[in-house]
Amino acid sequence: MRTKKEYLIRYKDGNLYCEHADIWIDPIKPVKKALITHAHFDHFTFGCEEYISTKETAILLKERVGDNIKIKTFEYGEEFKINGINISFHPSGHILGSSQIRFIFAEEKWLISGDFKLQKDETCKQYEIVKTDYLISECTFGLPIFKWDESNKIANDISKWITNSPEKTSLLFCYSLGKAQRLINEISQTNFKGNIYSHGSIHKINNIYREIGIDIKDTIKIENKKKIDELKGSLILLPPSLSNGSYLKNFKNIQTAFASGWMSIRALRKRSGYDKGFAISDHADWDGILEVVKKSEAKNVFFHHGDSEALSKYLVEKESINVLLFGK
Amino acid sequence: MSLKKFSELFDDLDSINSTNNKIEVLKRYFLSNEPIDNSWAIYLLTGKSNKRFISGRYLKNLFSQIHEYPQWLIDTCYLKVGDSAEVITLLLKNKTISKDKKLSNISLNELLSEIIPALSKLDEDEKNLEIKNVWETLPEDNHLIFNKILTGTFRVGVSIGLITKSISKLINIDEEIISHRLMGDFKPSIDSYEFLIKKNINLQELNSKPFPFLLANTIEDKIFKHSINDFQFEWKFDGIRMQLIKRSGNVSLWTRGQELVNESFPELVKKMSYIKDDFVLDGELLVWNFKEQIALDFSLLQKRINRKSPTRTIQIKYPIIFIAYDLLEINGKDIREIKLENRRIKLEKYFSKWQYKTENNISDIFKICDLIYPKDWSDVLTYKEKSRENNTEGLIIKKKTSIYSSGRKKGIWWKYKVDPMQLDAVLIYAKVGSGRRAGLYTDYSFALWKDQELIKFASAYSGLSNIEIKELDKWIRKNTIEKFGPVRSLKPEMVFEISFEKIQISKRHKSGIAVRFPRITKWRKDKKINDADSLENAYELMKKIS
Repeated sequence: MRTKKEYLIRYKDGNLYCEHADIWIDPIKPVKKALITHAHFDHFTFGCEEYISTKETAILLKERVGDNIKIKTFEYGEEFKINGINISFHPSGHILGSSQIRFIFAEEKWLISGDFKLQKDETCKQYEIVKTDYLISECTFGLPIFKWDESNKIANDISKWITNSPEKTSLLFCYSLGKAQRLINEISQTNFKGNIYSHGSIHKINNIYREIGIDIKDTIKIENKKKIDELKGSLILLPPSLSNGSYLKNFKNIQTAFASGWMSIRALRKRSGYDKGFAISDHADWDGILEVVKKSEAKNVFFHHGDSEALSKYLVEKESINVLLFGK
Repeated sequence: MSLKKFSELFDDLDSINSTNNKIEVLKRYFLSNEPIDNSWAIYLLTGKSNKRFISGRYLKNLFSQIHEYPQWLIDTCYLKVGDSAEVITLLLKNKTISKDKKLSNISLNELLSEIIPALSKLDEDEKNLEIKNVWETLPEDNHLIFNKILTGTFRVGVSIGLITKSISKLINIDEEIISHRLMGDFKPSIDSYEFLIKKNINLQELNSKPFPFLLANTIEDKIFKHSINDFQFEWKFDGIRMQLIKRSGNVSLWTRGQELVNESFPELVKKMSYIKDDFVLDGELLVWNFKEQIALDFSLLQKRINRKSPTRTIQIKYPIIFIAYDLLEINGKDIREIKLENRRIKLEKYFSKWQYKTENNISDIFKICDLIYPKDWSDVLTYKEKSRENNTEGLIIKKKTSIYSSGRKKGIWWKYKVDPMQLDAVLIYAKVGSGRRAGLYTDYSFALWKDQELIKFASAYSGLSNIEIKELDKWIRKNTIEKFGPVRSLKPEMVFEISFEKIQISKRHKSGIAVRFPRITKWRKDKKINDADSLENAYELMKKIS
């Protein structure tokens, strides 16, 4: 077995790093060359000399970092070379443009899962099974208590939640990139036929999705000082950052909910301060992670982004899979 | 359909914060369900059914066996969720997809009066099989309710007061009447529900039950502006608040928690039945030192509470007394509406009559509370400070003109508790909480200095705000020295002010002392660990008090 230093990809200063190509994956500090799996804020930073991503991610990234960044883009599945390493992006099913990144070097395959989910999501490409020798996987929800319901069931629950309180304005908090668009489309297919409003930050991303060619159902941009009566019985999508501030004073007679995988646990639901929680996630649940680990045929697995202790022990004991630890 | 409806009710109540909305939801539920199911719902929601049929541990083991999950994995999940019934519910998801859901139309009544009682009669193998069977044939949405009832952990944010309000609104009858009807032993049945919601009020039926308790509020500054002569002063005993009822010759002892505890205190029941009059007394039950006429520690009373039919030896070892504060009913006449000062006169009159006219001596188990007569408000303070000497928690101040209403009525009774003792201590261990605090480090252990060493002296769970809990949780995760399962040992750095009610020598603790009701009263970010108190300071505190 090799020492940690000899792995093609390893942890350095809290980020994934490939020394052979001097390339960082989703770095949270400015570096020379950064591969970006997707455009959520905790997966990139400002000030890198060069970014490399899928086309869709690049568009979203420019929206968030600025038009003047240097960014190279590739199609899903398209291979490119950096210092002798073959690199390619593959759909990870997390949000629009999200990808797994595969490295092939000296006949050794490495796969970085990025954030991923296996569940169906009309707003992005379905997760693609990629075979690998080494797998670096996220494990945000790496416990068997996490098992997602079908998204149309959750959408129906949301619809019921709104229509059961017709005299109220329903505020649904969710991440503005990815989750919001997925929810808008799912909810429009339910029995809820009232108005859907979205906050400026969400509205902006809806438009980008449409420009890229993803059909997001129309929503009304929420303007401040809307007539309160008009909002009775409608749904408003808002980013979680607005849940604590004075923003809610714009509304009268509201009920609030948060859409997140964590909402499957009653204690977290109660602690969240929202009236209601809907357990819908863009990450894989326990079974999803296990499926990916198995189908990837990886002999060696690393986990990051989450508490991996239990998951690792389970894979070692029950599935005889070699789980390795990065030295951080 | 009704178990399903009850599950929905549970979800609704769990996610609604407004009291009025909860009442609306409850009313709607009561209107649209069968009386028998309603009576079970009330039974569950008022917390009258905390019976544990099966332990959480048993259920986890069973799940582990059936689905070949290692026990440690379930335990890890538990740390995140904080409730065994919920862990199993979450783990069961999607495990039984193809099975016939033949229990999908079962009613709450069938579950509670047939399935669950039948379970507890089975031997272990049959029981396991039956639970497995229920899991497979009950729709997933109902698993949580089933598991929670099995493990006796059914709780939702509904108080008995809220149920009372809902029913009172439903049938348009005073809350007091409903709360009276709900008191005591509520056995779920069609009759008990019909009784609860019947529109005509029958005093006879209400007779065996206690009155709703009147509770004291925390002291308010405004009362110091009033004349001292407007109030009656009593010691605040640390025992079990109780109503002692004798009607048509039958004695019943009701706790404030609405439990009938005759069986735990048979000697009191027997003695009181010698008295010729009928009455309802409000008072406190204590374990008593008759030689020194002083209350003994609450921990001794605990030895009596949960023990039914105590032996003669136990009765002698932990001698009890009932101290009456108030007379609420005498020979069938409800006197709650007359002024406290006049009720007190009656109480004293009847007590002396009973003392001299009852054939058996009753004073070895029953007395009325002595009143205190402070000269002015500063004298009140002096009394309050003395309360530790006679093992009381402070004073109760009652307006002489008040009538005996119910609940925590404002502006008539106050509790004036003695200030807590305090020490500054260092946080050294943290443990993951359970229930609503699952996944967060919320159970803390604190240490005091002994020479150069920090010795654990108390554990506390409460006192921090939610924001502080989150902040401390973050700090704990970053400053862990070692992890032992759910417990972490921490870098000694954080100092907290710990308040407690009592301090005494204890051989069971390494520190040699034990404190009662320790709680965090301040996060002393301004203090370094060297500023924390030492065990010596604790011993000094103990000396000062005794």
